[in-house]
Amino acid sequence: MNSAERQRAMVFKRFYAEYQRLILGMVSVVGMMILWELAFTYVIPLNPFFFTKPSLIAEAFKQQIVSGSLWHDVAISSKAFLLGFGLAVVVGIPIGVFMGWRRRAEYTLDPFLTALYASPLVALAPLLIIIFGVGLTGKVALIFLLSVFPFIFNVFAGVKCTDRLLVNVVRSFGGREKDIYFKVILPSIMPYIVAGARIAIGRGIVGILVTEFYAASEGIGFAISRFGDTYRLPDMFAAIMVLMIVAVGLTEGLRKLETLLAPWKVGQEAR
Amino acid sequence: MVPCIEARSLTLTFTPKNRDPVTALQGFDLQVSKGEFLSLVGPSGCGKSTFLNVLLGLLKPDSGELSLNGKQIDGPGQERAMVFQEFGLLPWRTVLANVQLGLELKGVAPSIRHERALDLIKLVGLERFQNHYPHELSGGMKQRVGLARALATEPEVLLMDEPFAALDAQTRDLMQTELLQIWERTKKTVLFVTHSIEEAAYLSDRVVIMTARPGRMKNVFKIDLPRPRDYEMRLTPEFNDIKAKIWSTLKDELSGKAAGNGI
Amino acid sequence: MESRARGEMNTLASFYREREQAILGGGFILLLILIWQIVPALISLPRGIALFFTTPVEVIKSFYQLVVRNEIQSHVYTSAVEFVVGLGLAIVVGLPLGLVMGRSKILDAMLDPFVTAFNATPRLVFLPLLILWLGIGIWSKIMIVFVGALFPLLINTYEGVKNVDRVLVNVVRSFGASEWQTMKVVVLPNSVPYIVAGLRLAIGRALLGVVVGEFFGASRGLGFMIAGAATNYKVDVVFVGVTIFMGLSLALTHLVKRLEARLSRWRPDEVKTF
Repeated sequence: MNSAERQRAMVFKRFYAEYQRLILGMVSVVGMMILWELAFTYVIPLNPFFFTKPSLIAEAFKQQIVSGSLWHDVAISSKAFLLGFGLAVVVGIPIGVFMGWRRRAEYTLDPFLTALYASPLVALAPLLIIIFGVGLTGKVALIFLLSVFPFIFNVFAGVKCTDRLLVNVVRSFGGREKDIYFKVILPSIMPYIVAGARIAIGRGIVGILVTEFYAASEGIGFAISRFGDTYRLPDMFAAIMVLMIVAVGLTEGLRKLETLLAPWKVGQEAR
Repeated sequence: MVPCIEARSLTLTFTPKNRDPVTALQGFDLQVSKGEFLSLVGPSGCGKSTFLNVLLGLLKPDSGELSLNGKQIDGPGQERAMVFQEFGLLPWRTVLANVQLGLELKGVAPSIRHERALDLIKLVGLERFQNHYPHELSGGMKQRVGLARALATEPEVLLMDEPFAALDAQTRDLMQTELLQIWERTKKTVLFVTHSIEEAAYLSDRVVIMTARPGRMKNVFKIDLPRPRDYEMRLTPEFNDIKAKIWSTLKDELSGKAAGNGI
Repeated sequence: MESRARGEMNTLASFYREREQAILGGGFILLLILIWQIVPALISLPRGIALFFTTPVEVIKSFYQLVVRNEIQSHVYTSAVEFVVGLGLAIVVGLPLGLVMGRSKILDAMLDPFVTAFNATPRLVFLPLLILWLGIGIWSKIMIVFVGALFPLLINTYEGVKNVDRVLVNVVRSFGASEWQTMKVVVLPNSVPYIVAGLRLAIGRALLGVVVGEFFGASRGLGFMIAGAATNYKVDVVFVGVTIFMGLSLALTHLVKRLEARLSRWRPDEVKTF
């Protein structure tokens, strides 16, 4: 190899080393898709009532976008999700702050809320649906119930971790209670809020799916369930993938936000 | 002359949960004149930081009187400002925003406090770093921000609780000299708590030695060295005499001679 | 006599102070249950709500009935089997896979996109597919439990292996240890706290899988019982089921937490996973 070739080889090597994880990951995913497609086209007979392959999924996906049914389903589910999630943020954060800041509040509420958090609250889903009916209210209620707890507990932990020195600093400059909340506690707990949001998203989506599987006529969960009932596997897979993409997008996006929001914190991880 | 700060018979006892009560201050008396630089030196746990916190208004004494310019101290107020040992800068605010904290809490208009903060940032020599975050600064720089913040509200009294203890020796020396320069310019009354006899003797007009816990004033030394002081003064025999005298008084307290005596 | 009264007050006060946490927390829960029980006696509920209302006492009575009439035992058994088998499979697959992924950077990089994607998505989304494949028998439930419990175990094991101190590995290697020995002596013991934390999370997910799996495609099981009772407005039976799940969840989680605390004693900092 002459020097020009050697140089090019070095550049490649360095590129590979830096992006190794990304490259291998992409290779893996693309490779899997290709194998999947090839296997069921040329090797294994495809039973359409049982399985499907990427090309059919892509076709179904396109159809759903073109016909608008995908947007419609996603919109319906999103509306309920945002309402329930929003409610969880608005209710959960103050409770978490209250519990973290006042010791008596912590003693009183912690056992009860921990018990609820640890329980599979989805077990209440049928009851909620019977009470609130099949519409938006029931969905929102369940989503709220499921997603409020990560906020409460993450914020609670964040408030308890607040640097007391900073509270004293603000007090010493004449800050009152509201100054302490807004100038010290709230900024301190931002990373915790985002971490809580990241966990709450998964739980909220469970809420959507449970209500829509159980008793609904619209929404992405319902779509998946309906496609299953009618053995429309490519559509089903397509819908599942849409949900996966949304879930991953939101979760990873929040993870990024977490690291951005805390450039002043050195290496804190909460899964 | 009416003393600027007057403490009479201050007593404070801490009662932590599940542990024995601790008397930090017992019958503590002190008088500080206006514009004076006074150091408090004493063994660990003798209550010097506690006293500063009482002065600051964050702690209430069980008994005794504490007044500033004749008025009783009853909670925090912006005539007193503290520079903290662990800096206490809000990590999510830039240097500029941190310095403005006191003014912000007082309700000063943004444009005015922005200007004032900038003046002080220039005073402590951090103009180039006004938009940096605390985690990007060295210890000495962080403490300068702390100092700027304390001066921003134009307090009468500057309280400093071992402000240079967390810094390395060289930075510490530099900061001491800078502090003196700033003090000469702003002429505040300064109450300075430290473990270092050298630091206390170098900076102060008077050095107060406190007893071991529970804290009381044991002795006061007047430092007669001329001002402005420079580093070379620390190498003179007069300075060493002063240090020796302070040390001999302090030594008794450190060796626990007073321990177990009770009151 | 006055001093005796004061003495009693003092002991009462110190009794409270020491147990304040338990008293406030437990008291609050008891208060809620009490209020719940008393509400129908205090205010007459409108017809609509009375249909869905039940009280703690009724729930207890209902539970007793179900046990006596031997109606609940088979449901509990079915759910238990689904839980245990599903969780067991998750452990058997997740732990080794996590170990291997943690040690092999290439395998880790290749599997990472899948793990991330599947971890971020609620495994519930595959339930219709599993029912389509496996019917409404016990296996679709076992599979959803498996898939739910797999990821916390996998990821936590993986994290535990990755976080092993390089220095320790080098020390053991310098004594001539093979990969297998390194695993046994350094990597595994280091990972145990992580694995147990993963187990704690996995238990929660597994229970979730049981509950929801039985809502949608089942003919037996506690979840099925809850769903059926809800449709028939037997709210007391619903709460029997919910309470059993809650109790199981709390008991199991508590046990694992204690195990975790025991096994984490050597660790300097606490990694709290929610």
